[in-house]
Formats: sequence, structure tokens, C-alpha cells
Amino acid sequence: MTTRDIVLSALFTAIIIVLGFLPPVPIPLLPVPITAQSMGVMLAGCIIGAKRGALAYALLVVLVAVGLPVLSGGRGGLNVLMGPTGGYVFGWIIGAFVTGLVAEKLVREGQSATKQMTGFFIASIDGGIGVVYLCGMPWLSVVAGTPFDKVVLGSLAFIPGDLVKAAIATLAARAVIVGYPLLPARV
Amino acid sequence: MLTSLHVEGTSLLHRIPVKPKLAALMVFGLGLYLVDQPLLLSAALVLTGLLYLSTGIRLSEGLRRLKPVLFTIAFLASVNLLLLSPIEALVTTLRLVAILFLAAAVTASTAIAEFMAAVTDLARPLERLGLMKAADLGLALGLVLRFVPEIAERYAALKEAHAARGIPVKLSRMLGPLIISTLKDADRIAEAIDARGIRGQ
Repeated sequence: MTTRDIVLSALFTAIIIVLGFLPPVPIPLLPVPITAQSMGVMLAGCIIGAKRGALAYALLVVLVAVGLPVLSGGRGGLNVLMGPTGGYVFGWIIGAFVTGLVAEKLVREGQSATKQMTGFFIASIDGGIGVVYLCGMPWLSVVAGTPFDKVVLGSLAFIPGDLVKAAIATLAARAVIVGYPLLPARV
Repeated sequence: MLTSLHVEGTSLLHRIPVKPKLAALMVFGLGLYLVDQPLLLSAALVLTGLLYLSTGIRLSEGLRRLKPVLFTIAFLASVNLLLLSPIEALVTTLRLVAILFLAAAVTASTAIAEFMAAVTDLARPLERLGLMKAADLGLALGLVLRFVPEIAERYAALKEAHAARGIPVKLSRMLGPLIISTLKDADRIAEAIDARGIRGQ
């Protein structure tokens, strides 16, 4: 890892923490308000790529573990990691990595806007939704004893909000790749 | 802006070094899954609750910190009550809250510096795998804490700039400029770090 990689990851972690300070935005017709912070997984993968995105989230998890209230709503400390939703928090690291992997594969500088946006959207859904839920739901089911199929059913309530997040992350990632491209290319 | 969840004090928990505390938390957390007697779990809950309070945290502050997680647990408890037998729902809830109290007690009784030393030690195996240098971890975390206030200020400035031009402030419009303006500093910061030989290369 170059010094620049470390700095980019650290700056991104700081951005994710700042997004957690913003008040949640209620979206009409959706049951759960959107927190800007949970978009970070998609943003990190799509903007700084797999390795650096995963590092940015690993740094965030370390800060949570050492007891800083860096998550939205001032949450932090070991209780978040050991609690029923801990699987999602650890899943963010893998989710950012997978988002980055897919984005690096699909998106190139100089592609048409539609192609880039489609790539970012697919990457965000794969890593930011798919992987995160795959890590979070089994953990929740084991820890809280709620049957797995019911956990899956309950999670559906969050999917519309997550799709909105993926769309916003796509717009932001496209703005960044046009203005200041950082995503490594993967052949 | 980022105040640590550490509570100053000299209680028994404060005096135990961080690694045994973390190990005990792991063993206790996993061990409770072998117990399914409500009475025993209630005892564990009372014990960890008292431990949490023994760190010197005020009751109101102690509960305020755990409110989001307690809310999740309460929600899951009501779901479990519908799906499982009342005893099973009670057992999982007691277990979760007991672990929650102990985890919060470890967090409250450990200073960030102690934690950081432990994290760097635990990262040594990663170094042997060639993934990253353990010393880089401290550098990266320092950078994060250094830049959070600055990025928060930048966000506020962007918001004002939008408002001053009569553009409605929308998250989707702010993200691009915020991220680009922040990441553009990366080269300058990386050069400054390398120029000072901080990473010893």
C-alpha cells in the first residue's frame, strides 16, 4: 500500500463519519428513513475501489471497537459490534470490497455516462446491498434467535430505501469519476 | 465532536488491562449461548449491569448510550414473542442484554490509547501476511480523527454556498463536491507524510 492509498482510505473514513452526523432523511412512502452513512459502503467501493474501500471501512470498525461514537446517531463501542446488528457492521468491510471489485471490472474512464452509471448501480447493489445483507441476516438470526426466513422477510422493508441509496451513490460516483477519477481499472 | 465513550475512573474494571478484558468479553459472550435457563441468565444480566454501573457512569448516560441497541433488542424480542415460545423469547433477550452491558462496561472502562495499543498488537499477524504494516494503522486512524472536523466544516460551507445561490440543499447534490474536494487533498497529505519519513521508507 502506498502512502497515498492509506491517506485516501483515511479521508474516506472521515467522510463516512461526517455523513453520520447528518440527520436521517425521511423519504415519502418508505417505512425507514435514509441515513447518509449507510450509503458509504457503495460510495467507498465505487469511488476509491476495492482495496482502499475495504480499508476505509476496516478503519471505521476499529474506531467503533475502540469506543468512539462514529456511527450515525452517536453509536459506537463494543456493544454495537457484539449486538444483534453486528453482522451488518462487519459486512460493510466485505461489502465495500465487493462493490469496488465489481465497479473496477465494469467501469472505465471515458465510457459513456449510461455505461458508467449502470456499472456503478450494479456494483452498489451487489456489494452494498447483497453482501451486507448476506453477512448481517445470518448473524441477526443466530444472535437474536429469530428464525432466518422471518429475518429475510423483515429485511425486505429496507430494500426500497437501499435502492434509493444505490441511485444516489451512483450519481455521486459518476460525478467523482468525471471530476477526479480514482477508481483503479481491473482487466 | 467526537468524544470518547471512555469514563474516567479507578474501578476494578479500569485497572484490568485491555487484552484480558477483551478475552473475557469474548468468552462470556460465547459462553452465554450455552446457557438457556432464564434464572441463570437473569443473574448474568444483573451482574453485568452492576459491572457497567461500577465504571462510574451515571445511570441516565449509561442508558442513553445503549438506547439504539436496546431498541433493536426490544423490537426483536417482540418479533420473537410472536414466532417462538415465550420462554425462548425471554432467554434470547436476557442473553443479548447481558452481553450488551458487559461490552459497554469494557468500552467505558478502557481509554482509547490502551485500545489502540491492543489493536496495533492484534494487527501484527496481518503484517506477517504482508497485508499492511501495523504501524500504518496508527497513522491512518490519526488521519481520520484529524480530518473529521475539517470535513464537517467543508460540508457546512458547501451547504451555505448552495443556500446562498438559492439551490435547495440536497444530499445527492452535495456528495460529489464534498468527496472530490476532500480527496483532492490526498496527494498533498501523502507527499507531506513521505517528506517527513513518517512511514520509514
